[in-house]
Amino acid sequence: MVVKSEDKQTELMQGTLDLLILKAVSLGPLHGYGVLLRIQQISGEELLIQQGSLYPALYRLEHQGVIASEWGDSENNRRAKYYRLTTAGRKRLEAETEKWNRMAGIIAGILRTTPESL
Amino acid sequence: MSGQSWLGRKGAELRSWMRAVRYRSRVEREMDSELEFHLEALTADLIRAGQTPQEAARKARVALGASLTHKEEMRASLGLRWVDELGADLRYAVRILRKSPGFTAIAAGSLALAIGANTAIFSVAKVLLYDHLQIPHPDELKMLRWIGDDKVVAHNSWGDFDNLADGTQTSSVFAYPVYHEMSLHPAGMESLAGFKEDGMNATVRGAARRVTVAEVTGNYYETLGVRPQIGRAVQPSDDATKGSGNVAVISDALWSKEFGRSPDALGQTITLNQAKLTIVGVNPPRFTGAKNVLESPDLFVPISLEPLLTVQREKGSDLVNPDFWWLNVVGRVKPGVPESEALQGLRVQFEAAVRALSTVKSGDTIPRLQLADGSRGLHWADRMFKKPMFVLLGLTGLVLLLACANIANLLLARGAQRQREMSVRMALGAGRVRVVRQLLTESLLLATLGGCGGLLLGYFCRNALPSLLTNAWDDASLRVSFDWTVFACTTVIILTTGVLFGLAPAWFAARTEVSSSLKEAAQTTTRRRRGMSGKALVGLQVALSTMLVVGAGLFLRTLTALNSQDVGFNTEHLVLFDINPPAARYPRGKDVALHAELEKRIGSLPGVQHATPAATAYLGDSMSNSDFLPDGEKFVEGKHTAEDINVVGNDFFPTLGIRMLSGRGFNSQDTATSPKVAVINEALAKKRFPGVNPIGRMFRDDRDEKADLIRIVGICADTYYYTLREGPPAQFFLPYVQQKEVHGMTYELRTAMSTASLVPVLRSTVQGIDRDLPVTNLRTQREQIDATLQIERALAALTSGFGVLALALACVGIYGIMAYSVAQRTNEIGIRLALGAQPGQVRKMILRESTWLTLAGIAVGVGGALACTRLVQSMLYGVKPNDPTTIVAGIAVLMTVALAATWIPARRAAAVQPMDALRHE
Repeated sequence: MVVKSEDKQTELMQGTLDLLILKAVSLGPLHGYGVLLRIQQISGEELLIQQGSLYPALYRLEHQGVIASEWGDSENNRRAKYYRLTTAGRKRLEAETEKWNRMAGIIAGILRTTPESL
Repeated sequence: MSGQSWLGRKGAELRSWMRAVRYRSRVEREMDSELEFHLEALTADLIRAGQTPQEAARKARVALGASLTHKEEMRASLGLRWVDELGADLRYAVRILRKSPGFTAIAAGSLALAIGANTAIFSVAKVLLYDHLQIPHPDELKMLRWIGDDKVVAHNSWGDFDNLADGTQTSSVFAYPVYHEMSLHPAGMESLAGFKEDGMNATVRGAARRVTVAEVTGNYYETLGVRPQIGRAVQPSDDATKGSGNVAVISDALWSKEFGRSPDALGQTITLNQAKLTIVGVNPPRFTGAKNVLESPDLFVPISLEPLLTVQREKGSDLVNPDFWWLNVVGRVKPGVPESEALQGLRVQFEAAVRALSTVKSGDTIPRLQLADGSRGLHWADRMFKKPMFVLLGLTGLVLLLACANIANLLLARGAQRQREMSVRMALGAGRVRVVRQLLTESLLLATLGGCGGLLLGYFCRNALPSLLTNAWDDASLRVSFDWTVFACTTVIILTTGVLFGLAPAWFAARTEVSSSLKEAAQTTTRRRRGMSGKALVGLQVALSTMLVVGAGLFLRTLTALNSQDVGFNTEHLVLFDINPPAARYPRGKDVALHAELEKRIGSLPGVQHATPAATAYLGDSMSNSDFLPDGEKFVEGKHTAEDINVVGNDFFPTLGIRMLSGRGFNSQDTATSPKVAVINEALAKKRFPGVNPIGRMFRDDRDEKADLIRIVGICADTYYYTLREGPPAQFFLPYVQQKEVHGMTYELRTAMSTASLVPVLRSTVQGIDRDLPVTNLRTQREQIDATLQIERALAALTSGFGVLALALACVGIYGIMAYSVAQRTNEIGIRLALGAQPGQVRKMILRESTWLTLAGIAVGVGGALACTRLVQSMLYGVKPNDPTTIVAGIAVLMTVALAATWIPARRAAAVQPMDALRHE
């Protein structure tokens, strides 16, 4: 993996880790380390994720029934725990995505505001 | 969150949590290997990026962070955290309790006693006061009653009768023809069923015995909604015509006792008061009939048999007499009909029926019908036991409170010792809530220990109270079941007590200031402010004990006053039993001859000094009275001319040891054909013949002026009559041989033999005359008196028991607080001694401290006792609720106990060596 120096990465906004995990596993089953890699990959290595907070989040989401886990073999033939999205998780992801987009739109609109447009 | 319903999420969480708890070790293993995998994969990637293996491994570990913390958070994500904490709390609590076994034993033991007493009393109270009839929908069952003024048309009745405070009277008995008329058109009711319970003689499988019989109408079973467990019920065709349906349904108890639960019982024959009945069914096990919830009658027979079974009164059968009120009536309101409407309809029916059928003289009033709750039958147990049961429940509640105060006190004292521990915990970052939770876990564990002990105790003692409340010679006793309501109640008690005694110590612990307590260490030279709460608790204990001891004293004095009453006759070595010849076989005259024969044979039995039959046995709560009109005095309506009467055998006075004051008693010359004679007692002589010698005077015992005149031949000493609570009434005595009929009589035997050795002799003697005649209620006069004092004795025994328990608890409490105080003040005491105080002065100082505490507690307790004992005034006899002797004695007992409890700490304080005390720090 390519590791960018940490000061160039952006800190994750509070409460968005769950959404990112859901998105990551929605693209196909992943183990915990894979989730980390995929998020970094699709973010273009722009996001800094505290690796330690990943697992409590995964356990919390599984506890809530939005993702499910299964033990399987990894690329290098090691046993690893794979997470996938459940039906409830898919619904949650859709709802959260929509909420996020609306929020982002509103915030962007506010930030675009210029004195003339008032 | 949106996208998933709240319920769906909670369900998923619960499933996940249960899985995690169940497969805990697997979850732990998975967490480990998952984190391990992460580390390995990361290291491999870093090596691939060109790092050395060592460098890669180090960087990977740094990137992931402390796996211990992650795992803790992962567990928290699964909701396992509080399980772990609870487990830790419990393990710690067990360790703490095991570390001080003495404390644990005292606390759990006293709690077990208190909870056990509560459980036992509650289980009995539930049966006596709250259990419903064992029928479907008992709360829908209505019992018909009426309420009327003192001129009510029911002049002649047999059944419950209550005079209310406002001069009205109420009863639940009806004349059969009135019932019958109403049952044909039951207005808004589904049906009306009638029943009457009575004692009769039965011969079951060759043995004569006394049984309780319920005579029921044909629709009784249908109205109650009960079906026999085998065979059939009494049905409408059984009471279609008078004397039809010679059938009986037997109780489950009789079935197991006499027939060993064999189905062959069906079809067998029972002789009941000379009538031959066939058994057609067996009632379900817990069915007790509609009258009460405690005991079932042995037999249920169609009411049409009534003329065959019972005494025929002058106006013919009770089934046709419209002026004799005796039948209980129950029914259910039709579904959809409001109760008030049904009652309105029934009232119209009732009034019309009474007017049409009964003899309504001018001035007679017709009572108003009422629908009472029939779910517990006639509620007679309520009337009898409500007050004593509430007193007992109150007392056990007090004892429980006392036990709680005691444990709270012990915990508080211990809490002081553990203050450092709490400070350290809080300094290390434990939250107040966490500390409170830890301490509450400890007290709840203690409460559970005590509660389990109490439950066991309650289970084994649940029959102890009923045996205090039933008489010595009856084998029928009420069954106390131990069901989930009792269990639930005990659980609630345990939780409440645990929180109650745990809260104060936990509160104090949580308020601990970390720094102050750590700095302060254990050095104190003066009494500390926190000692106050402990003292208040001990004061409360003393107050509660005072109340219990005073209460126990009052009930004990009541019992002694009743027991030591000189009743006017010799109650020792007096054996009683009943003979009830059935009227169908022994009509008027024949019964007298039977008793004469029995008197002769029993009187000549070896070991029997005297024997006599008597219509009324004394001090057994039964009485009879009759008009007493001296010759020349006319009966005047409304004037009270009735006096207590007893119809007795020739040997009555010598048998009971009643002195003749003048004249003579009865003897063999007084026969059916000789002139009629009577003996009166001194009280009657004074009351009705003031200033004249009554001997030789004539009187009538009937309003009818054609009745024979009776000559007074003797005056005897006064005796008590039906209860110990009322002094000797005026009485007169007639020989039974001069009566036209006497029915059942009680035989009284002056003998040194025991009842057990008399049983076979009496049975063979009586059955030598009539094989179907049972000897019933064999008891001694003392047992008979004891039976009437059951409630008094039960109260005295229980309050004394609780009083002793309370004293023991208070003793422990005082000892605990004083020992703690001395330990805390060792330093101060050492200084005092070093400055020249004498050991005696130190001892006095400690004793004075406990005395003030005790006195304050006693003052509060006496106040409480004065307030509470007034409530039980009606249950006392021969002693006032504010009886000074009892109160002074109670105070003395408490002072003694308090002094005794303080003695050891005081001696210990006096023995303190100044140097040791100062070096000790």
